Amino acid sequence: MLIDMQHVEKVYRLGKIDVPALCGVDLQIDANEYVAIMGPSGSGKSTLMNIVGCLDSPTAGRYLLDGEEVSRLSDNRLSEIRSRKIGFVFQTFNLMPRATALRNVELPLIYAGVPAGRRRQLAAEALAQVGLSDRIKHKPSELSGGQRQRVAIARALVTEPALILADEPTGNLDSTTGQEIMEILAAVHRAGNTVILVTHEEQLAAQTGRTIRLRDGRIENQDDTAPSAAPQQAVSPP
Amino acid sequence: MILGENILLALQSLRANPLRSFLTLVGIAVGIGAVLYVVVLGQITEKRIKQRLESLGSNVLLIRPGYSRMRGVRTGQSVVNLKWSDAREIASTSEVITETVPTYTAPGVAEYKDQSWNTRITGTVPSYEWVNNDHPIEGHFFTEEETNQRARVCVLGATVHEKLFGNVSPIGEPLTIKSKRYTVVGLLGAKGESWWNPDDQIFIPLTTAQERLFGVDHLSTILAQMRSAQDHDEALFDIETILRRNHRLRADADNDFRVRRQDLYLATVQETTKEIANFVILIALVSLMVGGIGIANVMLVSVTERIREIGVRRAIGAKKIHVLLQFLIEAMVLGLLGGLLGVAAGLVFIRVMTGEVLILPWDWIGYSFVICAGIGVAAGLYPALRAANRNVIEALRYE
Ligand SMILES: Nc1ncnc2c1ncn2[C@@H]1O[C@H](COP(=O)(O)OP(=O)(O)OP(=O)(O)O)[C@@H](O)[C@H]1O
Ligand SMILES: [Mg+2]
Repeated sequence: MLIDMQHVEKVYRLGKIDVPALCGVDLQIDANEYVAIMGPSGSGKSTLMNIVGCLDSPTAGRYLLDGEEVSRLSDNRLSEIRSRKIGFVFQTFNLMPRATALRNVELPLIYAGVPAGRRRQLAAEALAQVGLSDRIKHKPSELSGGQRQRVAIARALVTEPALILADEPTGNLDSTTGQEIMEILAAVHRAGNTVILVTHEEQLAAQTGRTIRLRDGRIENQDDTAPSAAPQQAVSPP
Repeated sequence: MILGENILLALQSLRANPLRSFLTLVGIAVGIGAVLYVVVLGQITEKRIKQRLESLGSNVLLIRPGYSRMRGVRTGQSVVNLKWSDAREIASTSEVITETVPTYTAPGVAEYKDQSWNTRITGTVPSYEWVNNDHPIEGHFFTEEETNQRARVCVLGATVHEKLFGNVSPIGEPLTIKSKRYTVVGLLGAKGESWWNPDDQIFIPLTTAQERLFGVDHLSTILAQMRSAQDHDEALFDIETILRRNHRLRADADNDFRVRRQDLYLATVQETTKEIANFVILIALVSLMVGGIGIANVMLVSVTERIREIGVRRAIGAKKIHVLLQFLIEAMVLGLLGGLLGVAAGLVFIRVMTGEVLILPWDWIGYSFVICAGIGVAAGLYPALRAANRNVIEALRYE
C-alpha cells in the first residue's frame, strides 16, 4: 500500500476561528492506482492533496507514505520525500518563466543532487515522454497552455517518483487540450506510476480507476469508476 | 553543484531587471571605487614622499622669505629681501652648512615648434643637482661657466619634456621663452607628482633668470645643506644670525624669513594626506552602507516578487537551505558585481588622475571583493531568511 491515511484531520486557524478543512479522512491507495478526487469547491480536495504530497502536515491522525510515518516529520525530511517520491502537476503550470523547457524539467534534479550531465539527459528523456522533444529550448511564454502543462508533467516525472499528484491539471485548458493531458496522465499510470487527480469533471474522473468524493472535509464515497481499467476507451464524447 | 546553479540563477535574475540591478550596484561601486582610489593614492603619495626624502636627505633646510608685516599683521605678500649674497654668506660663514642653493622661480611659457606649455621657470646654480640629488638622465646640468656667462641654456623637467617633445630627445634643441631662444642641455628624470609636480619645471642659470629673463635680484628659496641632521640647531642659529644682520632687523623685529626642515615638512604633508584619506574612507564606508541597504531593499522586493516561485521550488524538492542559498548568493553576486564595477572605476580613475602606470594593488582589490561579498551576504541575509521560512502552501497559493 502506497498511501495509508487514518483519521486525518486538518484545521486551519484564522485568527480566533478554527476552519476545519479535513475532518477524519481514512484513505488507502495502492501502488499503481489511478485515483480521481472530486467534490464541491471548498470540500478539502487541495488540502488533502497537500497532505498526501507532504507539503503540509495533518493536525491530527496518521499518514503513512510507502510505509513511512510522515505526519510528524521535519521540514527537511518532508522536502527530501517530495524530492524523491512525489511529482506535482499544478492547475497553473507554475513553470519558471525565464527558464527553457529543458531547464524547467531539470529543476527537481538539481535539488535531488543529480550531476549536470545526467540531469540534461534525464530532462530530455522526460520531455520526449510527453512529446515535446522539439520544444526543449522554448521558454514557457513561447509554448501553448497544453504544451506548458506537458512540460510541467515532464518536470513531475523526471525524478521517477512513485506518486504523481495533479490538482486540476486541466482546469486552465480547453477540453481538447485537457483530454491530451488526460491521455498523458493515463500513459504515466500505465507506465507504473500511482496517479492522483483532482477534477471537477465527471467525464475526466471516469477515465480513472477509482473516484473519491469529498464533502465538507469527509470522504462521501469511493467507487470503482472503470472496473476494466481501459482509460482511453472510457472517453465518450457527450 | 548547487552553488554553480545558484550563481547562474542569480545572474539570470539580475539580468531580468537590468536597470534595477545596476542602480543597486552603483552605491557599492562608488564606495569601493573611492576606497581603492584613496588607498592607492595614499600609497603612491607615500612612496613618492619617501623617494623625495631619500633623495633630499634629512640634512637640508629650506629658507624662504617671511611675510611682510604691518604692525604685526600679515599683509600676505612675500617680501623680496632674500638675496644671493645671503646664500653665499651662509655657505661661507657657517661651519655646519656645507652648501647653499639659491633659486628663483616664476611662471613662464615655454615654446617648441608649434607646441607651447605653461610651466614654472626656476633659476638656480649647478650645485642644485647635487644637493637635491636630481641628476639629468640625458645631457648635463648647466655649468658654473654657463652661469657666469648668463647663458641661455636650460634643463627640462620630465613633464615639460613630455608636453613639448613627446618621446623625442630634447638635447641641443632650441626652446623659446619670452621670445628668446634657449638651448636644452639636460633632461631630468621623472620624480612623480605628490602635492605638487616637481617635474613640471624648467631650470636655467640663476644669473640668466634674474638678470635676463625676469629682471629681479631677490630669491624664492635658499636650500641649505647641513653637515648632518644633528647640526640642525647650530645651522638654524647661523642662518638667523646672518640673515637678521644682512636684513638689518632690529632686536625686537620678527624674522623676515622662514626656515623649515624638508623632512619635517614632508612628514606634515604625509600626515595631511592621511587625514584626507581617512575622511574619504569614512565617506566611502557610508556609501558602502547605503549600497548594502540598497541591496537589502532590492532583495526584499525580489523575494516578494518570487513568492510563488519559492513555493514551486519547495514543492518540487528544494529544502529551506536551498532557497536561503539562492537568495543569499543572489545578494552576494549583486555585491560582487558592485565591487567589480567599483574596482574597475577606481583603477581607471587612478590611472586618469595620477597618470601612473599602475602596479595593481592586488591586496586591496582582494579586500574589496571580500568586503563586497560580505556586504551582499549581510544585506541578503534577512530577505533570504524570509524567503526560506515562507509557508510552502501559502507561497504556492500566492497571487
Ligand atoms: N491556508 C488556509 N487558511 C485558512 N483556511 C484554508 C486555507 N486553505 C484552505 N482553507 C479552507 O479549507 C477548506 C478546504 O479548502 P481546499 O482548498 O482544500 O478546497 P478545494 O476542495 O480544493 O476547493 P477548490 O475546488 O475550490 O479548489 C476551505 O473552506 C478553505 O477555505
Ligand atoms: Mg483546490
